[in-house]
Amino acid sequence: MSFPEIFAITEDELDLNALLAAITLDSTGAAAIFTGMVRGVTVRNHPHETTYLEYEAYQPMAEAKMKQVAEEIRARWPSIEGIAIVQRVGRLYPRTPTVLIACTAAHRDTGVFEAARYGIDRLKEIVPVWKKEVGPQGEEWVEGDYHPRPGE
Amino acid sequence: MNPVKVLFFATLRHQAGVRSTEIEIPEGITVRQLKERLVERFPGLDWQVMDHCLASVNQEYCADEDIIPPGAEVAFFPPVSGG
Repeated sequence: MSFPEIFAITEDELDLNALLAAITLDSTGAAAIFTGMVRGVTVRNHPHETTYLEYEAYQPMAEAKMKQVAEEIRARWPSIEGIAIVQRVGRLYPRTPTVLIACTAAHRDTGVFEAARYGIDRLKEIVPVWKKEVGPQGEEWVEGDYHPRPGE
Repeated sequence: MNPVKVLFFATLRHQAGVRSTEIEIPEGITVRQLKERLVERFPGLDWQVMDHCLASVNQEYCADEDIIPPGAEVAFFPPVSGG
C-alpha cells in the first residue's frame, strides 16, 4: 500500500488545511503539523527586527532531498501514513508561514510528533534552501552550520 | 573536453554575479579543481568561501576529491538555511 506524499518548493501561499486533507486517509486518526513562520521580532540570542526574508531554493535537488527526508521518517516510524513537506520561497513578511512538515498516522502514540520534529530538523540540514534576512540594519544571508556527508 | 553546467546559490550567486554558467573542463577533473577554475573565471568569488562551501554533483552532495562526470550539473552553495 502506498501512502500520500507531497514534496514541494512553491511561491504560493501555504494552504495548511488543503495540505492536511491531502495526507489524511480513512485510517488516519492523528496528525502532527509543524509550520514555521517569519519572525518579525527576535528576542533570543541576538535581539533584532526582521522586515522580511527572501528565500531561494535549488528546486529539483530540494524536492529530491525532501523525498529522502520522508524515506528516513518511514524507516524510523513505520506507522506513519501521509507525509507533506513544503517550503515556500520568495519574499516573505513577518507572521507568514514559510514551511510545513505534516505527518499523519492512525493514532497519536505511534511516533507522529517525533516524525514531524525529525522532518523539520532534517530539512534544515540537507534540503538546499537559503534565506536572506532584511531588516533596519541592512541585509544578510543566513547560513546553516551542517555539512552533509557525500551522498547524504 | 567535458562540458558541465555550474549553478551558484545564495552568497555564492551574489559573488559570482550569475546564477549559472557552462564550462568546459578536461575529463578526470575533481570538484576542488573545478572550484579553482571558477575562482579564476569569476573574480568576485572568494576562495575562502568556495573552499568551505557545499557542493553537489547531479543533485547529490559530493566531496572535493570526487571526479566530475561528463555533462554533470554541479552546484555550489553555503550550508542550507531553509525552514
